[in-house]
Amino acid sequence: MNEKQVHKFVHRYLEATDCAILEKSPAHFTVKLSPAADRELTNRPYYWGFVDRTGTPPETMTFLFVTDKQKYESLAAAPALTPEEAAANAALGRSIGFVPGNLTNGTRTPREDLYFGSRKLEQLFTAAKTYGSYVNLFQEPEKRANTPFQSTPYTAWLGVNMRVEFACDMKREEIHSYGVSLATGSIVEQFHDQLQALRLTPRLPANVHVAKNGLSLSKALSVVEQALERKLKNYDYSWAAAASERLQEELDRIDGYYEPLIKHATEETKPAIEEQYNQRRQETRWQFEPRVTASAINCGIFHLEGID
Amino acid sequence: MSSTTNHNSDLAGAAAASNAIATRKLHPLVDLKLDRSWFEELQSRMAKNGPWDDWTLYQLSMEAEQAKKIDSFEHLQCLRTLPALEPMPHQISTARKVLHEMGGRAILADEVGLGKTIEAGLVLKEYLVRGLVRRALILVPASLVLQWVRELNQKFGIAAVAQKKEHTWHYDVVVASIDTAKRDPHRELVLGTDYDLIIIDEAHKLKNKKTTNYQFVVQLRKKYCLLLTATPIQNDLDELFNLITLLKPGQLGGQSEFAANFVVDKRLPKNEDQLQDALSSIMIRNRRGDGGISFTKRIVRNIPLVLSTEEQALYDAVTGFVRERYDESGGDLTSMLSLVTLQREVCSSRDAVFVTLVNLFKKTAEDSPMRPKIWELVEFIRKIESNTKAQKTLELVQQMNEKVIIFTEYRATQEYLLQFFRNNNMVAVPYRGGMNRGKKDWMMDLFRGRAQVLIATEAGGEGINLQFCHHMINFDLPWNPMRVEQRIGRVHRLGQTEDVHIYNLCTVGTIEEHIVNLLHEKINLFELVIGELDHILERFEKGEGSLEQQLARVLLQSGGSNADLSKQINELGSSIVKLRNETADPSAILTQMTALGQKVEVEIRP
Repeated sequence: MNEKQVHKFVHRYLEATDCAILEKSPAHFTVKLSPAADRELTNRPYYWGFVDRTGTPPETMTFLFVTDKQKYESLAAAPALTPEEAAANAALGRSIGFVPGNLTNGTRTPREDLYFGSRKLEQLFTAAKTYGSYVNLFQEPEKRANTPFQSTPYTAWLGVNMRVEFACDMKREEIHSYGVSLATGSIVEQFHDQLQALRLTPRLPANVHVAKNGLSLSKALSVVEQALERKLKNYDYSWAAAASERLQEELDRIDGYYEPLIKHATEETKPAIEEQYNQRRQETRWQFEPRVTASAINCGIFHLEGID
Repeated sequence: MSSTTNHNSDLAGAAAASNAIATRKLHPLVDLKLDRSWFEELQSRMAKNGPWDDWTLYQLSMEAEQAKKIDSFEHLQCLRTLPALEPMPHQISTARKVLHEMGGRAILADEVGLGKTIEAGLVLKEYLVRGLVRRALILVPASLVLQWVRELNQKFGIAAVAQKKEHTWHYDVVVASIDTAKRDPHRELVLGTDYDLIIIDEAHKLKNKKTTNYQFVVQLRKKYCLLLTATPIQNDLDELFNLITLLKPGQLGGQSEFAANFVVDKRLPKNEDQLQDALSSIMIRNRRGDGGISFTKRIVRNIPLVLSTEEQALYDAVTGFVRERYDESGGDLTSMLSLVTLQREVCSSRDAVFVTLVNLFKKTAEDSPMRPKIWELVEFIRKIESNTKAQKTLELVQQMNEKVIIFTEYRATQEYLLQFFRNNNMVAVPYRGGMNRGKKDWMMDLFRGRAQVLIATEAGGEGINLQFCHHMINFDLPWNPMRVEQRIGRVHRLGQTEDVHIYNLCTVGTIEEHIVNLLHEKINLFELVIGELDHILERFEKGEGSLEQQLARVLLQSGGSNADLSKQINELGSSIVKLRNETADPSAILTQMTALGQKVEVEIRP
């Protein structure tokens, strides 16, 4: 994610969670968090516990989120201070009691630099995931129906975004997005891209009827799993073969070291050596054994126009 | 469709939700595990008709995952998440080798000062980013715990926690001292955990497999493991064998095969090509002088100073006082060692002596004949009006007209110097061990910003890295050479772009002259390769007490004869030099070992 993407991401998150943006530029947001966002982002479980138990009106925090550090600083620092001078000023200020300007709202606004890899952005990612995992949505009709008696047929789809991990002592990932029509059982790939082109709403629009499901949710699940399995079976597994080879080499080496030790061990020391031997073997499997796992990033039921 | 439970050895995996995992065969060697926990949750929400999440957050969540997706096995992912970190080329290529060719188990044996910590941090970060490591344990000497925590947090954005209480062990990334970890009640918790990655700093301390530390480390359960040491061999090839056995038992064969195949004498390897082969898949050793890694020069100047008449009088009086006490004690050394400090302090500042004298005065009984004698010394102090060394220092600082760090052993001298510089209209800031972290950082900020002079009493660990400064004045010298080395290390390190100037102030005709002579001329301390020193000292000090103690003894026993003292100190020096030449043996192995460890191709940046 580059600075622009981060900026857009943050903006959408703040709007989706009803935060009050007090000030913004292409490089920053000054934002008073909504209670929902505050709970996710400020690490104040005790405070929120207190609010919940006593019913006190919550006071949420205000943040300065900088999404493009370079740009922000070149804009903010009109009389350009070098970082050294700024640091020295701040340090002197602390000792002498000189308080630098910019006291618009009486309290200091904590600053967070949001860049890909920063902890605060990671926290935003997690927050998005917490409340962005399971949805039930309806497509907004393209145009109003002509008469109130005309009803548009909708189909329910199971949509799921899967992350597939290919791991041994190294790892890579793929993301696959599937949609299965619960009416017909037909399956489409890149379903998420398709959804993003539509306008979706949590409420059932007027003059719409949802077609009867032709297959159960469990059946839809196995359609997805089979499709994924078929796809993955055609992959190249030379990486796994190489990892298995490494694993075998390592296991042989461990055998070569421990077998003579165990053979010559006394009765007292034997159990300890055997335990160590097994532990080393286990660790090595853990380290090298090739494996593929598929798990969902998020999923939902999507009611889309038409019968497919 | 059969849903089997997860018997796989993925010890850290999400086996908890084992019912929700289905397994399919993808390839003779590979199973596909389908995690179905999402499906259960979806069904349950449908049954209850909600709660349903927000569409925008749903999209954002997907977007975040797409951004974090690891596209390839090889490409180093962590660098794009660390915009503030600029690792050296050799550090990056070392991390790559560990990750891609060594399966995450390696000895990082770079010479001191080349950034093993950075290399280990890169490896840890990469594994974290890839989700291959969640739980990591970092075992380091107690004195380095906080430094590691700080580096991981600040440089790598890794939420590492210093182990303090029992419950700290539950954090994902914990830094602890091995001595704590191996003791109850911690021991059980640590041994009961499957660590995705274990990093052990100063791993040469594990050279002896009979020690409790070694036994403890053998029992740890780990997937990946990094051992960091600048000296994989100190005395004996067996040490290397023991370290490697921690990572890859059998890599060099069994103990007896190793001895038969690779060892001529405990310090002399044979079949070096084979040994090199065996080592190259497990050890990386970068050395300064390898492409791209270079240090600037150290330029050392001794500045001889003649004490003023009054200062000399005080020095003589104190020397007389110490000798008297020694004679009175009938040659008992142990109680006398602290008195020697007085003599050293005179060479620093009258303030330093004064503080010690006052303390001594308080400790003696009211009717003790010592008291008037101490007062006599205080009279000598009173007569001193200026400090020869401070004058000279001011002159030096004004001449160089650049940032300079001044080290002294004594708090009182530090205070005096601060005052002295202030009176001469120069900004000097203090730095000492007792300051808390915030204050230390603040002092560093000030020094970086507007102060020309930093006056420090402490140089140890604690991350004062002053590459922006390349002048250093030893106002007085510690008798412990390691501390001198630490001082120099603050300034003369990777990233220093200028030659480093070191000035030793040295008062003629005092004990200090002898010490400077010993450290500089005799053992050539200032030009030693970093890291060489502690091994020489370790051997030198075996059973004989520290060098400081030995020096004090020599000083007291010389009975005032300067020639005698000279001779004795020379002898100390010679035995160190002799040891150094002997120690050259294992380092000789290491020199060959460079060839042995993986040579890292270093691309030099423009």
